[in-house]
Amino acid sequence: MTTTVATGSFAAVDVEERTDTAEQTSTAHLTASDVPWNLVVWNDPVNLMSYVSFVFQSYFGYSEAKANKLMLEVHRKGRSIVAHGAKEQVEQHAVAMHGYGLWATVEKASSAGAGKDGPRG
Amino acid sequence: MAKAFKYGLKGITGYLEPAERELLRGLIDDVISMLEPEEQAGQDPLAALVGLDMDVRQPSDRALLRLLPNVMKDDDAGSLEFRQLTERSLRESKIGALRAASMGLDRNELSLTPEEARLWSMALNDIRLVLAERLDIRDEADADHVHAMQDWSQAEDVESYLALVYNFTTWLQESLVQSMMAALERKD
Repeated sequence: MTTTVATGSFAAVDVEERTDTAEQTSTAHLTASDVPWNLVVWNDPVNLMSYVSFVFQSYFGYSEAKANKLMLEVHRKGRSIVAHGAKEQVEQHAVAMHGYGLWATVEKASSAGAGKDGPRG
Repeated sequence: MAKAFKYGLKGITGYLEPAERELLRGLIDDVISMLEPEEQAGQDPLAALVGLDMDVRQPSDRALLRLLPNVMKDDDAGSLEFRQLTERSLRESKIGALRAASMGLDRNELSLTPEEARLWSMALNDIRLVLAERLDIRDEADADHVHAMQDWSQAEDVESYLALVYNFTTWLQESLVQSMMAALERKD
């Protein structure tokens, strides 16, 4: 099973490939692809709490405590930001969540709350 | 009567009666047939090969939409574009998990590797999502109402029968996930 994709890996690859070009280029690239996106998991009355926690642990590699905290947030607040990163990354996570049957969406992180309400992987 | 999954020396094991295996096989086949993409004439074979589906639409069936949800809450165009790139492979991976579970149903005694258990849990979850849509489970109160149906002698119509089947698969999945958790803890 896939474990957590290192944050910024998509950008990092390109930066490495472009080390010979002007620094300005890689900075511009980073700005384009590093706009933070959130992966949101929504509550539903069907998915088992134990299963949701298991998915957070086994897919993201989160500790049991962290997985349970996120799962309870989904359950009580209706939604939780369970990961964030570049758009391509959170989209990849969303497909994985859909594979598990969890109801997940991606959204652009709001500038005010960016990185604050979402746990860091 | 089925035995709950448990984790022990032989890994994750469970036991299902022939009638229960038959029931699960039928449910799996139903969900697979919902997920199988319609082969359209004139479809670009190369696009299909790499998993693209430019003709894909948001499912009109609620249960299928729950299995293949929109990736963005308030952006139908963005969700559709994402669907074109990913829905085919998502359908295929779900069908793969369902087939794997079905293949394990050829004997009463179940003994699952961690990967098989993972595929089983995904398959059971998709079955429950479909049953829940058919039972109109929209909130926790609906879920509690369905959960109260535990007596098979109460099964007098399709609705109550479906509720009992739903509760059976819920119980089975819960015991499987508990076993998987125990296996995960042992590994740490």
